[in-house]
Amino acid sequence: MKNFKKLVYSSMIALAFITVFNIDSFAQNPKLTDPEIASVAVTANQIDIDYAVIAKEKSKNAEVLKFAETMTNDHKAVIAQAVALVTRLKVTPKGNAVSQKLLSDAAETGKALRAKSGKAFDKAYIDNEVAYHKAVIAAVSGLLIPQSQNAELKGLLEKVLPALNTHLAHAEMVQKDLK
Amino acid sequence: MKRAVFVLSSCICSLLISFVVYSCASAQADPKTHTVEIKDMKFVPESITVNKGDTIIWINRDIMPHDVTEETSKAWTSSVIPAGGSWKMTVTEAADYYCSIHVVMKGKIVLN
Repeated sequence: MKNFKKLVYSSMIALAFITVFNIDSFAQNPKLTDPEIASVAVTANQIDIDYAVIAKEKSKNAEVLKFAETMTNDHKAVIAQAVALVTRLKVTPKGNAVSQKLLSDAAETGKALRAKSGKAFDKAYIDNEVAYHKAVIAAVSGLLIPQSQNAELKGLLEKVLPALNTHLAHAEMVQKDLK
Repeated sequence: MKRAVFVLSSCICSLLISFVVYSCASAQADPKTHTVEIKDMKFVPESITVNKGDTIIWINRDIMPHDVTEETSKAWTSSVIPAGGSWKMTVTEAADYYCSIHVVMKGKIVLN
């Protein structure tokens, strides 16, 4: 009976979490131009840097802090490459419905993260990183790469994909350690 | 006459010993330099077999920084290798290593 209660309780927490951190920004599969894809790519990277900023402010867990530092440096490196590429191609990233939805979802998630502290924060941050990286990987491989017209833009997105997969594996490892 | 034969034999023996010693030293082979590329968040090759005294050079072909760190006791580390940078080490023992920045990236040095 105790185990059943525990299971129900865990399921309720999981459901609440999924409701708060629902990542559906990429779900509508819209048609995007290269300037719009560049905007989505930069926005998605910047959002994870912003999550890392919150983690650095709130967490005291060494593993979480190290992960946040890696996210900051890696996503900054990706943005630097993207900016260098669009500058060279003379393309101006163009805001669009996907990047706007990403930003509004991120604002909501950021708010929910800031409301937590201690171990609850660490768990929420890492759970969000796992979910966010899964969503971004799906969007990059299923939406951004197939719709990119410029070969160099496509190449950059393909180059970023292994890093995102490594981040996901790293996040899942920290998630396991936090349990 | 006997003395001349003795001296000649000694010289031949010395030459033979020198030849054997030189041959053995050559058989151990000169130290080689091997390359491990760090690309697409992997060490390529993931496992490398070398002789003691060989050098391995790790070249970072990714767009983000990596490092090469002995995994079991952190006995040695490259420190941060920036994108496009490299680091080399003379191998003295077998090791499991990883990137301490991206902890799921792992590699192995095997000794012949």
